[in-house]
Amino acid sequence: MGASKEFFENQVFGLLGALEGAARRLTRNDADAEDLVAETVLRAWHARGALECEAAFRSWMFRILNNTFISGLRRADARPKTEAIDGGDGDGEETGFSLFEQMHQPFLLWFGNPEQEFLDKLLREDLERALAGLPEHYRVVVILSDVEEFSYTEIAHTLQVPVGTVRSRLARARAALQKILWQQAGERGLKRAAAPCPEHDGKARGINHVGKGGIG
Amino acid sequence: MTEKEMNCEQALRQIFAYVDRELGEEERAAMQAHLHTCKSCFSRMEFERLLKSKVRALRDDKATPSVGERVKALLKDF
Repeated sequence: MGASKEFFENQVFGLLGALEGAARRLTRNDADAEDLVAETVLRAWHARGALECEAAFRSWMFRILNNTFISGLRRADARPKTEAIDGGDGDGEETGFSLFEQMHQPFLLWFGNPEQEFLDKLLREDLERALAGLPEHYRVVVILSDVEEFSYTEIAHTLQVPVGTVRSRLARARAALQKILWQQAGERGLKRAAAPCPEHDGKARGINHVGKGGIG
Repeated sequence: MTEKEMNCEQALRQIFAYVDRELGEEERAAMQAHLHTCKSCFSRMEFERLLKSKVRALRDDKATPSVGERVKALLKDF
């Protein structure tokens, strides 16, 4: 089927904020994000005959956005050599890091909850910075799953990878994201505050030292 | 429906899929049964769920005017 111009316009404008947000997080640059959105819309218009059904428009647009981003990277060869564009779910990458495990202290039930306090202090800027620090193949799955709330099947369709790959890549991406957040907390001297320390009372062991500026 | 008993190791392996609502009915029921009895896994699940909701809150619903204008101009030419 091919989308009518009216349908295409309505759908594009309905998605524009989400597309721009994803583009900005992928490119890490406002001007490049604007170019990416414009190129995505242009490509989508020319490829509209390939749209299988109108209900799939959203995931189809994100697929074009991601493909356009990747082909732009390939053209520019701007990516760091250590980053993989298409996957890179290698064994050497962090898979088991958990912020919760760094902070959780089961014996502090009456005194405080460090992991909850950590989340309470987490600002939008902290998360944006951590997300920007992820390799792009991780960044894109977090954007699609956690920001845009795509299902695993939709992500698989968007990225053209098996569902099992989505599941494992997302787990690695979240571990990597949490590791960056933890490193950001460390830059502010917060790791020590959050680490288990039986000699001190619960509140002292929490992450109460996080200031108004967030963790980053 | 029979609920399979789940241990902590199995629960932690499924925790993201649970938070993402990607488990099948039986796996979800087994996970819920485990979470009812295991405070540690429940706390971990709650943490992951809240962190996910923080990331979800980054979502942008409105495009900037410059992107809106640029796309509008593009569409005019189609």
